[in-house]
Amino acid sequence: MITALLILHGLAAVGLLGAITHQALAAAARQDIRRRSFFARFRVTDGALYSNAVVVLFVLVGAMGAMLYPQYRITVRPMLQTMDLRAANGVFELKEHFSALALVLLPAYWATWRQSASDYATARKWLTWILAGLVWWNFVIGQLLAAIKGLVL
Amino acid sequence: MSARLMVFSLAAAIAYTLAYYFDWPLFVYDLTGGELRFFATTASGPAILWYGWLMTAILAGLVATLLVPPRLIERFLPDLLWFVPAVLIVAALLYEKRWFL
Repeated sequence: MITALLILHGLAAVGLLGAITHQALAAAARQDIRRRSFFARFRVTDGALYSNAVVVLFVLVGAMGAMLYPQYRITVRPMLQTMDLRAANGVFELKEHFSALALVLLPAYWATWRQSASDYATARKWLTWILAGLVWWNFVIGQLLAAIKGLVL
Repeated sequence: MSARLMVFSLAAAIAYTLAYYFDWPLFVYDLTGGELRFFATTASGPAILWYGWLMTAILAGLVATLLVPPRLIERFLPDLLWFVPAVLIVAALLYEKRWFL
């Protein structure tokens, strides 16, 4: 059950990572459809279309992470402490804070993408970039800790 | 509606940071007994405070949504929306630096 949940958590996180990265790059792009490079075309997308998917995926990933958390505290954290891997413990503590901050910022993020006023263009861009950064951190650290646990046991 | 959502997010994010800095979880999840202990900060064995910090934040966000008139801060909202989260991320990094020293 826990393994299945961990895999689902990882798969949903991949979807979230893709969606928010695409949206963040689109939010920062100049909409110049004449440019023909792959990167330029990748960024020419309607970022607003991603916000619902990002919110749903984030809540899903967060809920699964919250369900997995007791297992982490029982099996992984004691192992990190026994091996004196303080930095690994620390990066997970940050993952914990970043997940919570991102979760409570979702309503504002969603609202900025619903605002057509140009006053919110900067907030929309930076808030999306901040969330994308937090999602990237959480994804990489999750993979790192799963790898540490897998390598040791 | 949008302004209220933004007020919720800002208040909840600030409240979450205060909750873990000052240990204000709404409850603690006791891993040994598998039960919630409201308004506690410790348990008999290993415990999870994160759920409680998050609930403290959501509660504070909801209260702020009801109490703070969005018109009062509407002018500053666009700037606060990216500035406050950036400051709170720096605060988290500073708080957790103890693990890396």
